[in-house]
Amino acid sequence: MTAKEKPVFPQSNARIVSDDGDAFNFCTTCAFSSACMDQGMGKRELNDLHMLVEHIGPFHAGDPVFRRGEPFDAIAAVRAGSVKTSIIDQTGHERVLGFHLPGEVIGLAGIDGDRYPCDAIALDTTTLCRFSFPRMAELASRVPLLQQHLFRLLSRDIGAAQRLTGDWPADVRMAAFLLTLSHRLAARGFSSRRFQLTMARTDIGNYLRLAPETVSRVLKRFQDDGLLAVDRREVELLDRPSLDALAAPILDS
Amino acid sequence: MTNGVTLDVDLLRRYDRPGPRYTSYPTAPQFVPGFDEQALREAAKESNGDPIPRPLSVYVHVPFCTSPCFYCACNRVITRDRSRGAAYLAPLYGEIDLAAGLFDPDREVAQLHFGGGTPNFLAPAQLRDIVATLRRQFRFANADDLDCSIELDPRALRPSEVAELAAMGFNRASLGVQDFDPVVQGAVNRVQSVGETAAVVEACRRHGIGSVNIDLIYGLPHQTPGGFSKTLDIVLAMRPDRLAVYGYAHLPKLVKAQTRIDAATLPTRDAKLGLLQLAIETLTAAGYVHIGMDHFALPDDELAVAQARGSLHRNFMGYTTHAESDLIGLGVSAISHIGATYSQNPRDIASWQAAIEDGRLPVFRGMRMSDDDQLRAALVQQLMCQGEVAVGALERRYAIDFRSYFRDALVRLQPLIADGLVQVEPDRILATSPGRLLLRNIAMCFDAYLGEDAIPARFSRAI
Repeated sequence: MTAKEKPVFPQSNARIVSDDGDAFNFCTTCAFSSACMDQGMGKRELNDLHMLVEHIGPFHAGDPVFRRGEPFDAIAAVRAGSVKTSIIDQTGHERVLGFHLPGEVIGLAGIDGDRYPCDAIALDTTTLCRFSFPRMAELASRVPLLQQHLFRLLSRDIGAAQRLTGDWPADVRMAAFLLTLSHRLAARGFSSRRFQLTMARTDIGNYLRLAPETVSRVLKRFQDDGLLAVDRREVELLDRPSLDALAAPILDS
Repeated sequence: MTNGVTLDVDLLRRYDRPGPRYTSYPTAPQFVPGFDEQALREAAKESNGDPIPRPLSVYVHVPFCTSPCFYCACNRVITRDRSRGAAYLAPLYGEIDLAAGLFDPDREVAQLHFGGGTPNFLAPAQLRDIVATLRRQFRFANADDLDCSIELDPRALRPSEVAELAAMGFNRASLGVQDFDPVVQGAVNRVQSVGETAAVVEACRRHGIGSVNIDLIYGLPHQTPGGFSKTLDIVLAMRPDRLAVYGYAHLPKLVKAQTRIDAATLPTRDAKLGLLQLAIETLTAAGYVHIGMDHFALPDDELAVAQARGSLHRNFMGYTTHAESDLIGLGVSAISHIGATYSQNPRDIASWQAAIEDGRLPVFRGMRMSDDDQLRAALVQQLMCQGEVAVGALERRYAIDFRSYFRDALVRLQPLIADGLVQVEPDRILATSPGRLLLRNIAMCFDAYLGEDAIPARFSRAI
């Protein structure tokens, strides 16, 4: 790989993985890195936070990270790979709540009760950092910055879930979905132009409220129009301005 | 790739050594028993999850022949008992049912191919029933986008039956000829007249089977330049759209039928190369384009057009204009290629049938390709179809530095470069005109499974 090219998700990012956390530095992918690094957490608090971290995995595609109804005792940040969260609705159908990429946190919705309200399933080979929640809450009560950060993560999680479910046309939703993934991956040091969709098209369709055939049809049309290229699971965004324009109603709202 | 083919017999002689034909990479000998039904189910499920799932290609293997051609290394059952064909249909339908269940219903079949054996060992009504069953279980592309092809033995086909095949939707036919020289035909146990062959070609054209391929073989017993030249002239008068000219590989230890061929009657290696030279010169002079390996086509044929456009592909059925597809192999010994996996059905009817009657997909071996396998498969595919390797595109696609990744392969390529078979340019590796006849040898340099050890004897020679 040439030095200037960013890794294509989910290829493991050698630079990032080697930059693993120690007592005073979090991984650059970590959801909490900004809580401490950017905002100057004291060495003692930082150390305390580190003591809470437990590396778990690897989980393989289809493995549950947690199941709905299990006692809520921890939140987890994706280190590598990706995780799908979903619930079973009253009619017995799965509803995909979201896809979680490196650096993003799962389990936040469990804070509300004492059990996980959803399933979390690994979409590909996935490793996570697990934070015991009772201990984290205790620490947050002593470290206001951490508390703020937790609230911020929580509200972001709720916002993301509501964004793409509006009554927009299929191509607008699809463009917004791809651009959102692209932004999120770019923020973690991955290529914003090329990435793999680790989730099946049924999951994408479920998340965007589109039939799987519609997912494929819209993507095929995008491909025919030169907006992107699809090869198996890999997507390459070729015409960013057109995709931006298409997704503007959602992403600019 | 240019159309001219030049031949340096001395060069070909030196490179005439055993090697795979690369209808797949990795090749079938790398398949392992651990790849089972469950692995195939997972591969199919994964392929359904692609954002734009690939189209499907369906291959149906009909293993029966009424008499053995002595050169043939295909999986086949020699019988005159037509009830064997009827008995084959029930498990075949069982397998179609199991296989169709693996794929999302919106996935389209873009290619259907019947091979053998002899597909027309089955009666037209039986073939029609198989096609109808497939059409019920799978969604087929519109007729314009559907390649529907069948291998035909003209000796066992009445021209009236060709009309029935066309009515079922077949739009391509491939006819075995090999050689019209009666002495050669006697020695290989395949006596086939010019008249019955021409009648089938003519019937195909009349009934709208628009594309006709004819297979020839060089290197058969008693074959002479005079006789083969006559065969070429007769075949060219039929003006097939495509021609395949295969080299006969005499491996009697592996292919039992070949023990019936007296090795003393085979042309010498130089004589064999002379026959190849004759074929290439004759076909080129008649306006055929060399597609690659042993395949030729008229310049307005889809394959030639696709090659010029860079959109030619190759799979177990040979060269094709269809984009990458997931291949479903049905019938005894058939190979499937779903996602990054290969899987093969048992090579004997009893095991194949027993699995299906048990409600199991009849997989007896296969493999899941590693990242390295996939990279090398893409490279071999480019080489076989376009005669060149797009270095930059592979580096980008697979995030490698080509020169360091393929350091060993590039060392193995040195003698081929020195012999003028290959040119290495900054952004591509190109097979030269003589190199295009030796694509197998070039691909072998990049084959991770061919170590420094002797090439296994199971592969036929390159020429």
